[in-house]
Amino acid sequence: MNAPGITEPTEAIARARAGDAEAWGQLYRDYAPAIFRFCRRALPTREDAEDATMEIFMKLRVKLVQYDATRSFSAWLYKVAANHCWDMLRRRRIRQDKETDDLENVPLEHPDASQLELLIEQRTSAEVRKALDKLGGRARMALVMRYYSDMSYDEIADALGVRRAFVGVVLLRARHELRQALEGNAALAAGGTS
Amino acid sequence: MSNTPEEKMKHLDEMTLLLYIERQLDRARGLEVSAHTQECDTCRTLLRAMERESRLLTRAMLEEDEPLPSRLAQFQERARKSMQWIWGVAFGLAATGVYALYTGYIQPWQQQLEQAGFGGSNLLGLLIFQGAMWKGWQSMMTLLEVLAMVTLAGLGAMLFRRRIRRGSALALVFAGFCTVLALPTGASATEHRGGQNPTVSKDETIKGDIYLSGERVRVEGTVEGDVFAAGKDIDIDGHVSGDVISAGRYLRIRGTVDGNIRSVGNTAVISGTLGKNITWFGDSVTVDATGKVGGGITMFGGTLAVDGRLGRDILFFGDEVNVNGDVGGGIRQKGHTMIIGSGAQVDGPIHFDGDRPAIVSPGAKLASPVEFKQMEKKQSYREGHYYVWQVIWAAAFILFGLVLFALMPKFSQDAVKSAEHYGASAGLGVLVLCGVPIAACIACVTVVGLFIGISAFFLWYASLYFAQVIVSAVIGQWLMGRTSELWPLIGRMTVGLVILRLGTTIPHLGGWVKLAAILWGIGAISLALYRRFQPVIAPSVPSAPYSPPMPPNTTVGGVPA
Repeated sequence: MNAPGITEPTEAIARARAGDAEAWGQLYRDYAPAIFRFCRRALPTREDAEDATMEIFMKLRVKLVQYDATRSFSAWLYKVAANHCWDMLRRRRIRQDKETDDLENVPLEHPDASQLELLIEQRTSAEVRKALDKLGGRARMALVMRYYSDMSYDEIADALGVRRAFVGVVLLRARHELRQALEGNAALAAGGTS
Repeated sequence: MSNTPEEKMKHLDEMTLLLYIERQLDRARGLEVSAHTQECDTCRTLLRAMERESRLLTRAMLEEDEPLPSRLAQFQERARKSMQWIWGVAFGLAATGVYALYTGYIQPWQQQLEQAGFGGSNLLGLLIFQGAMWKGWQSMMTLLEVLAMVTLAGLGAMLFRRRIRRGSALALVFAGFCTVLALPTGASATEHRGGQNPTVSKDETIKGDIYLSGERVRVEGTVEGDVFAAGKDIDIDGHVSGDVISAGRYLRIRGTVDGNIRSVGNTAVISGTLGKNITWFGDSVTVDATGKVGGGITMFGGTLAVDGRLGRDILFFGDEVNVNGDVGGGIRQKGHTMIIGSGAQVDGPIHFDGDRPAIVSPGAKLASPVEFKQMEKKQSYREGHYYVWQVIWAAAFILFGLVLFALMPKFSQDAVKSAEHYGASAGLGVLVLCGVPIAACIACVTVVGLFIGISAFFLWYASLYFAQVIVSAVIGQWLMGRTSELWPLIGRMTVGLVILRLGTTIPHLGGWVKLAAILWGIGAISLALYRRFQPVIAPSVPSAPYSPPMPPNTTVGGVPA
C-alpha cells in the first residue's frame, strides 16, 4: 500500500515503539499531513478533521506496541484513521437513514458513456472535492478509503462493517452520488439507459 | 433502436466494469470482460470513462489543496493534557490578584478621589479628562469594568476560536469596541482658533466650546462652554462657565472658571476663582492668597503650594506640599516633604506617607494631628505573604499572556522570534521605552493629538507587561526547545514566566532583571511590528511543497493484454 519508491521509516518506527519521543515526533511530522488530508476528505468540516487527526495520533501512540512490523505501517495507520473517522460519522448519524436503505439493490444498467466522459472531462479536481462534501458519510468514506488510501475491499468491508461482496456496491453507489452532485444529472447517477 | 451486430450483444453492466477496473473479478470472468470490451465499442467507451473517473477521484483526493494547520504542526498530547489543570489554577490565582488589585489599590483610590470631589465612580473619565476628546469613554464607568470587558472579550474570542476564524473573531471584538465607543460620540458646535496669539477678546462671548492653540493663548472674554487650550502660555482672565482642559508650560487663572481644570503642564498659578477641581500632571501648582478653589486638587508632580482657599481635599503624589491657606477637606500625600505654615487651617484629616515627618508650624489650625507613615523603601523579602503574592502575580501574568497569545497567535510568535535578535531588540527597546512616552506627551500638547497621545501612552504601558510575557516565552524556549505551535509556546511562556518572576524577586538585582526583560521584550514587540508593516521589497521565494511519504497511488485496472 506504500507509494512506489518510498520506503517506510522502519528504524524510526522501531525506535518510537521503544518509547523514543524524538522518533515519534519524526513519524508524526512525516505522516500527520497525509492523515490530516485523509480526515479532511472523509469528514464534513476542517475543525472535525483537525480534531480527528489529533485523536488518531493519540490512539496510534498508545497502539503502536500492537503494530505488526511485518505489515505496512501506512496501511495500519490508515486503518486506524478510517475506523476513527467512521466511528465519528456513525456517532453523528450523518445521513444514516439514507444509507441504510436498499444496499442490496444496485442498478445493473449501462449509463451513457459519452455523457460520463463529458462530465469527467469538464470537471476539475477542486469541483470533485466540493462535490464530495455533499455526499453521505458512507459514500464519502468508501471513496476516500479506496481512492485516497488505496485500501483493499477487505479492509473497506471491515471498516464500514459491510460484507465484502457489497463493497463494490457501496463504491458504485458512491460514484453515482458523486456524479449527481457534480452534474445533478439523474440519468448518469441512476445508471442511465441500457 | 439500430440493428448493428454490436448492439445485438448484451452490454456489460456498470458494476461488472467497476469490479473489472478494480481487479476484483476472478480470472475467467476478467478474460470474458476483456474480450467483450475489445469487441464492443459502447462498453469499451464506458470502461475508459470509468477509469478516467477513478483517476480524477484519486487526483482530487491527493492534491494538497490546504496546508497542515498550525495547531497540528507538532504532536501535543502532553501539552493538551497537562495544561488543563494549570489554567484552572492560574485563573483562580489571577482572579484573586484582580480582587486584591481592586480592594488594595483601585477602591481606596476611588474613595480618595471621591473625597477630593472627582466622583469616584468615574476613574477612567477622570484620567481621560472627562468631557474632553471622547465622551464615549465615560460610558465605561470604571477601569475595572474596562478590564472585565477586555478579559470577557478575550475569553469569548478564545471560546469561539474554533467556530469563528481567528481574524474574524478579533475583528468582531474590535468592531464591538468601536461601536461601543463611537455610539455616544456627540457632535457639538465648537470653534477653533490658532495662530501665534489666539485670543478671546474682552467684549467677546463664545457660546459653546472653543479650541485654542498657539504660543500665547488668552481668554479675556466669556466662554459659555469648555476651553481646550494648547500653547506655551495660557492665561484665563475672563470667565469660563465650563472646564479648562489644557496642555502647556504656564497656566494662569486670574479670571473665573466655573468648572474644572484638567491639565498637563509645567506650572499653574491660580489667582482667580475656580468653581470645581484641579487635576494636574506637571511640576508645580500654586493657589495664590487671592485664589479660591471650590473643589479639591489631585496632583501628580513636583510641588503644590496652597496660600489661598481650597474647598475640599488634596490628593498629592509628588515631592512637596506647602499649605499656608485654608483647606476645607483633608490632605493625603505620598511624597518627600510636607510643610504646614502658621497661616494654615485644615478641616479634615492629614495622612502623609513620606521620607521624614511633616513640618507643622505651631500657629497652624488642624482638625487632627498629621498622621505620618515612614515610606517603606525595602521590600519585605522575608515575609511569607510576599511570596504568596509573587505566586498570585505570576498567575495573573500567565493569564494575561494566555489571553494575548490566544488573541494574537501570529503576532506573539513573530515577537518571540524577533526577541532572538538580541542586539536589535535591546537597542530598539531602549529607544521605544524612552521615546514613546516623550512622543505621547508631545502629541498631548496639540489638542488634536490628545487622544492619540493618551492612547499611545496606555498601549506603551500595556506593552511593559506584554514585553515580560514575550521574554518569558523566549526563556521557556531556551529550556524546552523551540516550537512554532501555539499551545506548546504558551507552556514554554508559563515556565519562562515563573523563572523570570523568580529572577525579579532577587534582592537588589531583581529590579535590573525586570528592566532588562522589559527593554528586551519591548524591543522585540517593536521589531515584530516594524516587520509586519514593512513594505515588501521583493517577493519571497515560495517554499518547496511538502511531499509526504503517503498516500500511495491507486491501482487502477485497465484492459489487460
